[in-house]
Amino acid sequence: MNTDCVTVSTVVAVDPSSAFTIFTSEIALWWKPKGPGLFRRGRNGTLKFDSGRLLEIDGQGEPFEIGRVLAWEPPRRLVVEWRQEGFAPGERTEVEVRFEAEPAGTRVTVQHRGWDALATNHPARHGTTGNAFTTMIGLRWADALTALRGGAGFSL
Amino acid sequence: MATSLDNTLAALAEPARRGVVDLLRVRPRPAGELASALHMSAPAMSRHLRVLRLNGLVEEEHTQRADARLRVYRLRQQPFLQLRNWAAEVETLWSGQLANFKQYAEGGRKGKRQ
Repeated sequence: MNTDCVTVSTVVAVDPSSAFTIFTSEIALWWKPKGPGLFRRGRNGTLKFDSGRLLEIDGQGEPFEIGRVLAWEPPRRLVVEWRQEGFAPGERTEVEVRFEAEPAGTRVTVQHRGWDALATNHPARHGTTGNAFTTMIGLRWADALTALRGGAGFSL
Repeated sequence: MATSLDNTLAALAEPARRGVVDLLRVRPRPAGELASALHMSAPAMSRHLRVLRLNGLVEEEHTQRADARLRVYRLRQQPFLQLRNWAAEVETLWSGQLANFKQYAEGGRKGKRQ
């Protein structure tokens, strides 16, 4: 993992074309909201790709725009902007999803990136702290700490 | 000693102090070595070390080297474990959602549409 992104992947036992369709058209059926509200505090909803955007729709039918779709290349690749609770106006990160054929089905890799860029324009860099900044710096240090735990006689 | 996440982040919201932490990741070092590695004056380094120390990120360690008593700085573990949790949160989010996706695609969905 580099300092700018988190990468997670899994292998699913369907072909890439099905995987892409399920990931996008059926996201409301597999995405499970958790916690105090990832996108809006105290409100959890269902996710939906709609007219080139990714939305979260709450219980009252009110949409929150998580971000615009930047690349839509079925069945191989998808890139979407990603904003969540604590982001200032204009701040965004990016999520890229890749679908690669494997003997056992499809490897689906999610890369959530852009935390470094987020930090550059963030008022937090001048002293105050915010949610986006804390998340960013967490990512920066995760890398350092993984390296730390591995060696140099200094274990965390 | 204060080691809340806010204090940790405030202490790290300054490039020179992140530089100090990067150097201390490798091994404990005396203040003079940190100052010259970061091209800073001794008083300036001393101020940064004080902030890091008051916020619980580093601690002083006294060692005997030959006949000289040497004071070195090293990282404290606890504040960095707190930071690790923030990164883990993003990773946990996607691991969890991908597991939901896999389960739905391979199990729950079957029969619904075919």
